[in-house]
Amino acid sequence: MSEFLMYLTNGIVIGVINAISAIGVSLIVGIMKVINFAHGELYIFAGYFSYHLSVSLGVPPLLAVPLSVFFIFLIGLGMERTLIRPTYGDEMYSLIITFVLSIVLQSAALLIFGPYPQKPPNWVTGAMNIFGFFHYGNQRILSFFISIVVLISIFYLIRRTWFGKSIRAISQDREMTALVGVDHLRMNMVAFGLGAALAGAAGVILAPIFPVTPTGSSSVSLNAFIVVVLGGMGSLKGCVIGGLVLGIIENLGAAYISSMYRHIFGFIILILVLVFRPWGLFGQKAQ
Amino acid sequence: MKNKQQKRNLNPFWIGSFFILLALFPPFFLSQYWLHVMIISLFYVMMASSWNLIAGFTGQVSFAHAAFSGIGAYVSGMLAVFLGLSPWLAIFVGTGASAFLGLGLGYLCIRMGGIYLSLTTLGFSEILRIIITNEDQWTRGTMGLQTPGFFAEYSKISYYYLFLIATILLLIFIYKIIHSEIGLTFRAVLNDELAASSSGINTVKVRILAFTVSSAMAGLAGGLYGHYLMLITPDIPSLGQMFLVLAMAVIGGMGSFIGPIVGSFLLEILSEYIRIYGEYHVLLFGLVALVMARFAPEGVVGIWKRRWGKRWLS
Repeated sequence: MSEFLMYLTNGIVIGVINAISAIGVSLIVGIMKVINFAHGELYIFAGYFSYHLSVSLGVPPLLAVPLSVFFIFLIGLGMERTLIRPTYGDEMYSLIITFVLSIVLQSAALLIFGPYPQKPPNWVTGAMNIFGFFHYGNQRILSFFISIVVLISIFYLIRRTWFGKSIRAISQDREMTALVGVDHLRMNMVAFGLGAALAGAAGVILAPIFPVTPTGSSSVSLNAFIVVVLGGMGSLKGCVIGGLVLGIIENLGAAYISSMYRHIFGFIILILVLVFRPWGLFGQKAQ
Repeated sequence: MKNKQQKRNLNPFWIGSFFILLALFPPFFLSQYWLHVMIISLFYVMMASSWNLIAGFTGQVSFAHAAFSGIGAYVSGMLAVFLGLSPWLAIFVGTGASAFLGLGLGYLCIRMGGIYLSLTTLGFSEILRIIITNEDQWTRGTMGLQTPGFFAEYSKISYYYLFLIATILLLIFIYKIIHSEIGLTFRAVLNDELAASSSGINTVKVRILAFTVSSAMAGLAGGLYGHYLMLITPDIPSLGQMFLVLAMAVIGGMGSFIGPIVGSFLLEILSEYIRIYGEYHVLLFGLVALVMARFAPEGVVGIWKRRWGKRWLS
């Protein structure tokens, strides 16, 4: 029983972090109709940044973590400006460019950081007894609460602020939004940077728990894509529910069915969604 | 109209003479090593041209092309190893398996739009890699599956001609498709989906058809490749391989018949020269592909055409 609860808790913690990463993808799809295949690489870069900032340069985690995310945000802005913007309206080229970019970043990571898995130091140490059932690492508990704070901030940003309102308006009707005076190109750029930063946020939060490697990026991207399809393209709520569902199924499946096939469960979910409910749990049914 | 007629007549002429040259020249002048490079280049011509059929001509980006070649290679290889089937027969079963899986994936994703196809094919490649590495009692995992070759007596020249004939047949087939009624609907779907569907073209059906045909071709190319190397490894269906095929099509010129052919020879021969730099060549090809996709989306062939006029290539 306590074993089951522990796997379930693992699933929930990973699920919340999945949700952050998936919202990054969803935000970009929603506003720009672009899938960023380099999403996983941004996650990996953030993990390595935080590792090198804290280990090689001795920056305390409290500073190293936001700094890493900020670097990824800047990289995201740069990507949008130089590579993505010229492809607007040409879905095929945006897919090709971000895919090529993911390969470029992956081999760049291999050259810069080497092939070895790296793990930034834990922010906190020790473990806590959860209601007498099992012991759970403090790092994971802290990661969970930080993720919740990040999720709440994103929801606030998108639902309540002027910025979020403009983003939602653009994803509904770009011309009309531009007409009433929103600088839609600038909004794209910021939204893309924000999407990248969310990949980075997921990376820095998860890196102390699961070490990052340059080759680990494709499963990160895939997880985010599966969550987005499961939740429904462009739906924030869908990302949270989808992230939790995927996290729980993957962890229980890996524990009780087969750990080698951990990533297969996600793909099975993807196929089932495409067969039975292709618009996702909270997406809008196509016209 | 006259110009178009001319273009149609010149195109097969130049490609035809190029392949006659390929048939007559290399076996007697090239070393075993360069003959091997030529065989690999021909494999990439098949891969890049068939990928171009779906990406360049219907605008759908599949990331499972290498995976389908892996299906072809593994199905054919396993049939030959475990059931003792002749490779000549087994490759057709492998091709059929790729076509069948392509039809299934295409049917599931294409009605939802291009983004879904790209996502799902990417997932499919990853999953296939995981299955192949884990099911090592059937696939020998990362060690690679040793398979019999096509010929009792191993000779590079026989393989060279086998690959040349297969490539030529495949290219003729692709050429016939894109210059037929079906090819016209492909381009109609690419240029204006709404207009195409309102003039009575079932856009989803057309795309699924293109995807299935293209996947089957990848399966055939992969089957040939596997029985040539006689060792099938998870590198064949890897995303790295997918990237190479994509880079060849993009650098050569997507959406043109000649582009992927040029790109395949260019990149494969170039990669032999920069092999000593190891992993850097992926980075280099990636950067070149990125710059090409950004500044010259019509590729090398497009640049050539712009500079030296349309007379030579199309």
